[in-house]
Amino acid sequence: MNGRHLAIALAVAALAAPFVLEGNRFLAFVFGIVMINLLWASGMNLLYGFVGLMPLMFAGIAGIAAYAMVALTREAGWSFWLATPVAAVGAAFVGVLLGLPSLRLKGFYFTLCSLVIQSVLTLAFTFFPRFTNGDTGLNQIEPPAWGGVQLAGVWFDATLSVVAVVGVLLAAWIVQTRLGQRFIAIREDDVLAEVMGIDVVRNRIIAFFIVSLYAAVGGCFYASYVGFISPRSFDVLTSLGIWLCVAFGGRGTIIGPIIGTVILAPIPYLLQELQAFKDVLSGVLIIVVTLVMPAGIHGEIMRRRSLRRAAAPPTVSAAEAVSSNGGAR
Amino acid sequence: MSLLQVDGISRHFGGVTALRNVDVRMREGETLGMIGPNGSGKTTFVNIVTGHLVPDGGRLLFKGTSIAGAAPHHLAALGLTRTYQAVRVFGGLSVRKNIEAALLLGLSGAPAAAEQDELVHWLRLDHRLSSPAGSLTLFEQRRLELLMRLLQRPSLIMLDEPVGGLAVTEVREMIALLQELKARCSIFVIEHTMRVIRELADRVVVLMAGEKIADGPPADILRDKRVVEQYLGTAHA
Amino acid sequence: MTDATLLVLASTLSTGLILGAIFALVAAGVTIVYGCVWLPNASNGQFFLLAALAAWSLAGAGWSSAAAIIGVLFMGIALSLVIEWVLVRRLYDVPERNVAYFVVTLGLTQIMSGIFAMSWGLWSDQFTLPPLVDGITMIGPFPMTNNRIVVLAIALGVLAVLFAALRYHPYGRALRAVFQNREAAALRGVNVRAIYRLSFLLGSSIIFLGGMLFALAYSFDLTVAWTMSVTAFAIMIVGGPGSVLGALVVGMVFGFTQAIVSIFASPTAATFSYLLAMLAMLLFRPSGLFNR
Repeated sequence: MNGRHLAIALAVAALAAPFVLEGNRFLAFVFGIVMINLLWASGMNLLYGFVGLMPLMFAGIAGIAAYAMVALTREAGWSFWLATPVAAVGAAFVGVLLGLPSLRLKGFYFTLCSLVIQSVLTLAFTFFPRFTNGDTGLNQIEPPAWGGVQLAGVWFDATLSVVAVVGVLLAAWIVQTRLGQRFIAIREDDVLAEVMGIDVVRNRIIAFFIVSLYAAVGGCFYASYVGFISPRSFDVLTSLGIWLCVAFGGRGTIIGPIIGTVILAPIPYLLQELQAFKDVLSGVLIIVVTLVMPAGIHGEIMRRRSLRRAAAPPTVSAAEAVSSNGGAR
Repeated sequence: MSLLQVDGISRHFGGVTALRNVDVRMREGETLGMIGPNGSGKTTFVNIVTGHLVPDGGRLLFKGTSIAGAAPHHLAALGLTRTYQAVRVFGGLSVRKNIEAALLLGLSGAPAAAEQDELVHWLRLDHRLSSPAGSLTLFEQRRLELLMRLLQRPSLIMLDEPVGGLAVTEVREMIALLQELKARCSIFVIEHTMRVIRELADRVVVLMAGEKIADGPPADILRDKRVVEQYLGTAHA
Repeated sequence: MTDATLLVLASTLSTGLILGAIFALVAAGVTIVYGCVWLPNASNGQFFLLAALAAWSLAGAGWSSAAAIIGVLFMGIALSLVIEWVLVRRLYDVPERNVAYFVVTLGLTQIMSGIFAMSWGLWSDQFTLPPLVDGITMIGPFPMTNNRIVVLAIALGVLAVLFAALRYHPYGRALRAVFQNREAAALRGVNVRAIYRLSFLLGSSIIFLGGMLFALAYSFDLTVAWTMSVTAFAIMIVGGPGSVLGALVVGMVFGFTQAIVSIFASPTAATFSYLLAMLAMLLFRPSGLFNR
């Protein structure tokens, strides 16, 4: 099965799943959440996996868009389908403006800077309650309407599937364009990339804008799907959770974040009663991913497979292999 | 018009003067060598000309236009490029991907496929195309470095110790490659190995503690009393 | 000036001094570890809180505060050794290890806050340590509890010893040599890995001590971990990563800021200002005010 077949199979599975899960509202809801996280993870992967920057302010940008979308629909009476793109582009611009100075930094300093910006945003959501209602949060956010009928149940789930599939395909397309190749060159060695004629800061800004769009669109859908948002919906733990989906699955590949998200995103909902335990688990996973398998599950599978292939070369027949081994010993 | 015209550039780090009032001119097609003891400011000079450092004062002209303060990616598009003393390739990517990265510059006159193949063949990298660049030998990596630059059709390539760390036979091969390279672009080369300077350079500039102390044909320079006393006496000529 | 304003001024001054000394202590611990091991410990607030909570538990079990503090310090050293052995030493030779360390300690933060929520968080929501000593001393017309005076004296004393040790003790000199240039230090025969371990132990122990001193002077809840992490990082970045002098000066400034801001606004406003100070520093002068 090659990549194209796998992609088609996964897309069909994602689009069919809401209808299969229709009978179980809880599982269907968890599935919808997984789809939103999938969109987020493939966006985060563009920056973390392909440009090599870890944006911990990701959730904050999603939050800006979500609050803006709610304000536009509630107070200005816009439809979700108009408010979301406007809020998303606006939030992405704000994200780039906030991130702009930090894009000259790299490595730890960029990550720390993004964490500080995320913390400032979380505090801002809490202490400027005009649009956010502070810690209490906003509830009863209306789901989007489609031709006068509110999206609900299986059709909302299916919409999220479409959004996630489009998001993943778009990311897969971007990384094989010249833009994506420039991202990879910057990730591998930004100084050399610059000497090879790549405008590093400009390309980082472009990547950051695209990634902010992913965060923002996901934030808008999250708000209307869950119906409730508060500063905690978009805090640093959310950013870290999305990052973990990417790193755990395998960064810098398209399939990696899909694996990571499908495995990790449902956990908070399945462990609803054990929030603190969930924190411990995700902390352990963060450490394991960083220290033990930096290439993630996908990287680990590929490594094992290549080891096995090296151990038993398929081109050599069994008899030859035995005799050559015997000869060597 | 000079290809490269450097007028009176200086650079200080904290209280230390790395370069003081250095003038260098290069004609099109010329190969210019730069020698000097460690810490005499050679790499700082290259870093300034290629946009990695901003000079404290002085003028920088490339093909007649000022390039002071221009970013390295901008200079690459103008045809000014460099290599590094510690070889620098995209080690995690295959040789083929490295080549593709070099072609990303998207020049209108980018080499056609046949010419790319010719370059790859000339630098004897055809059998390594699918290997990760990091797994290549040092000599192969240096050749890949050259290949990536040449694919961008530079007018001037600045080489920072191109034979550093190479074995004796490899040095000989590298000098032969660089001889042929002279037909393709102008070369500025920093070297400690005098053979390279003797066999390649049309002219040599000597730096000492950040100042230019000599400038002329290699045969004269290598006989110059001051240079011999101060520099060649301490290094292995 | 009325007596009331004088009293407010005096209490602000003493709070500023105590907070400043504790901030400086914790930030010094963080900055030593970063400067030497290149480990930016994002979980320093969790270490701080852990020590305070452990001392609270021991005190609850009938130990005196002094005994609890010494007991927790030993436990802290043991825990640091375990963490060094399991997590920290794996990355000693990785060149860009500060990002990886940062992420690892973010994971550690999550683990520890999960554990705190499942244990101490269920038992109480306000904690404090019984005072080391009783009584009140009048400093001029202003009363100050003897306990806080002792806390202040310990904090300043440890800072002084730390400063002197880094300057004059052979270990301190080796540590500073590694700070400045790892390869050069290794060439001169310094056992770099041993120095890494030592500075991680030293830095962590100082953070543990800071947590317990804070618990002696003030009552606290679980949110202090986050506040302390932000504050210590802000001090380190503003003061200059790796600069103990910077940690000292900026820590004091932040302590007084906190004391003053707390009169007019919520302490969160102070935290907010630290975040902004750190941001401005990161963007405009990442090497900090005090170059080491």
